Amino acid sequence: MSVPATDRPASTEHTEHSVESLSSWLAERIALYLKRSPSEIAATVPLAEYGLDSVAALSLCGDIEEDFDVVLEPTVAWDYPTVEALAGHLAEELRALAGEAR
Amino acid sequence: MLSDPAVPGLRGAAAPTGPAGATETATVRKAAVEPATAPKAAAETTAAPRAAVRKAAAESAATRKAAAREAATAAETIVTPRTADAAPGPRVTQESLVQARIADLESRFGDPDDPANPLSAARVLAADEAGELPPAAERLLDDAGFNAEFVPTALGGRLDRLDTLVRVTRQVFRRDVALGLGYGITSFMAAANVWTAGSEEQRRRLAELLLNGSKVSVAYHELPHGNDFVRNEFRADAAPGGFRLHGRKEVINNADRAAAFVLFSRTDDRPGSRSHSVLLAERGQLDPARFSVLPRYSAVGVRGCRLSGLDFDGCPVPADALVGESGHGVELALRSFQLTRSAIPGMGIGALDTSLRTVVRFALGRRLYRRSVMEIPHASATLAGAFLDLLSCDSMALVATRAVHLLPDETSVYAAAVKYLVPRMLTDTMYDLSIVLGARFYVREGEFGLFQKHVRDLPVLSLGHAGSAACQATIIPQLSRLARRAWFAGDEAPAELFRPRGELPPIPFGRLALASGRDSLSASLVAAVDELPSGSPAELAVQALVMRMLDQLRQLQEDSLSLTPQDRTALASPASFALADRYAVFLAAASVLGVWRAAARDGGDPFLADPAWAAAALHRLARRLGQRPADLPAACEGRVREEVLRRFHERRSYDLYDTPLAG
Repeated sequence: MSVPATDRPASTEHTEHSVESLSSWLAERIALYLKRSPSEIAATVPLAEYGLDSVAALSLCGDIEEDFDVVLEPTVAWDYPTVEALAGHLAEELRALAGEAR
Repeated sequence: MLSDPAVPGLRGAAAPTGPAGATETATVRKAAVEPATAPKAAAETTAAPRAAVRKAAAESAATRKAAAREAATAAETIVTPRTADAAPGPRVTQESLVQARIADLESRFGDPDDPANPLSAARVLAADEAGELPPAAERLLDDAGFNAEFVPTALGGRLDRLDTLVRVTRQVFRRDVALGLGYGITSFMAAANVWTAGSEEQRRRLAELLLNGSKVSVAYHELPHGNDFVRNEFRADAAPGGFRLHGRKEVINNADRAAAFVLFSRTDDRPGSRSHSVLLAERGQLDPARFSVLPRYSAVGVRGCRLSGLDFDGCPVPADALVGESGHGVELALRSFQLTRSAIPGMGIGALDTSLRTVVRFALGRRLYRRSVMEIPHASATLAGAFLDLLSCDSMALVATRAVHLLPDETSVYAAAVKYLVPRMLTDTMYDLSIVLGARFYVREGEFGLFQKHVRDLPVLSLGHAGSAACQATIIPQLSRLARRAWFAGDEAPAELFRPRGELPPIPFGRLALASGRDSLSASLVAAVDELPSGSPAELAVQALVMRMLDQLRQLQEDSLSLTPQDRTALASPASFALADRYAVFLAAASVLGVWRAAARDGGDPFLADPAWAAAALHRLARRLGQRPADLPAACEGRVREEVLRRFHERRSYDLYDTPLAG
């Protein structure tokens, strides 16, 4: 199983992230927390229903910040509780960041 | 800064504060520091000293009179009228106010060893045996308007600083943990939610209830779910005009007598962390046919606490019972936990303080092998070790409470670390002390009977809303972020963080963050490395121990970075929990170092400014981490033992404050 590389140059490539690529990144990472296969993580099912606990949700938030060089509210996975919602929110955040960078 | 002109509850003449102050202070009971209290404190010295320590007691009589004078002077400072255009007089500082409050409480409680004192240790023990809080002590706290300690100054109370709250409440825990918990801290835990997120009206009303002496219960707990609040089932269903409450809350302190309840309730059937809300319901508003109080639980310790529960059956509450936003209950809990987790462990230090004094008295009086127990090296080392652990715990409690004011965005980790480590160290240290006390530790009455009560009572600090493992679970998901971003990178904490008597800005209830990417406390230890003095043997010992702590932080960093995702969840392996433990011990070491350096720089308390205690405390923490540091210079241990005896004979507290005690 591959986790997207963490040595990817950050900030300059924000615009490259689509909702689709973010969704698959999230599914892979969440699968690691849950010891499941990424294909089992449906984009519209709340992560809590898979048993993603609040501690793991906070860890996930840290992972996103690290790999995408953004700063998020620690409660982001509570307010955007599915892969689809979280990917959408993250895409917006990254677009906003890229806008600021220009 | 002078943000607390009024001290309601102390002298009825206190000036009003804040917008609500004008009416609030008028209603606060006029519990005065009567001039008569100073003679009362002095009169205690007439109590018959115990034969075993007759000499010591005689020696301390003079110092106790001095302490009573000191108390009286501190109390006088308070009554100096102070308005914007006040005439020059003694400067009233936060420090002089808190000293006066403590002196007042001490003189009210009196000498615990005096059989004629209705608040003696024997009476406290008898109340425990009877399963009640000592009635005279509850009346005393009512008369002192003690609930005002839990109410922010802006709402007419005396709560302006968390470290001060700890220091004052410690005087109650020193006598009786059950009293501290059952009289008041339950109300503080409930109120923290309302001060953090409540509406103006809720804050005003809760302040009014507390200042009138009422209790408020905090109802989070449901036995089937432990600390896993996200699974709580107690429901507040939307209904016309508000909510209807269904279900049970269990092991709730004061459920039978509280005037209001803070209820953690499910408001959404979906799983997750946005499905709960906090409600504030007044007992008087509830339909008595639709709620009942569950039978009382019988516990191992804090037997005077009235632990029962609540059972609701479709009981309506109005819409304005909601505290904060709907669905934000988990977040509010995690925010207000930062206040309670930071503060409560430091209060429990009072019980260890009394226990250490009890065992010192035993060790000085009892003779074995033709010498006093105090002269047996193992016993005397154990007592010195207990004192050092107490100082380490207090350093950590000091930093955690002051961080709430100074570093609110970093508090989530520090609060969890102090709530995890301090109760654990207190319990470990009580066990060490019990070995010196020997068979007397097992006796439930008499001269040393209070010791076993404290042994039974103290573990309650590790239970409740934030068990040890739950606190470690708060730390675990933050470790890798701290390892990547904070350690060896960030700015050091302001020196104010480490000053036991330093003034503080108000509590920033709204600015507590759920997670942090910074750790200024650790950065302070890292930054200190290049500036440590290396003159005396004790200073060299501190330096060597700090270098080892630095290695520990490097190791923590390496281990945190290699945690797998599964090891960053609530179901993490034991190794993750061990990592959180090591980090907490490291933070305790950074706290000790900071307190010593600040005292040495400020030229304040001569004992705290002496590197001897810092070296000896760091040495114990290093061994707790499994290190095998070089032996300490003998002078360090000698200095610490000397201080143990001085504070015993002079009747001073064993914490960072060296407070004069009534007994």
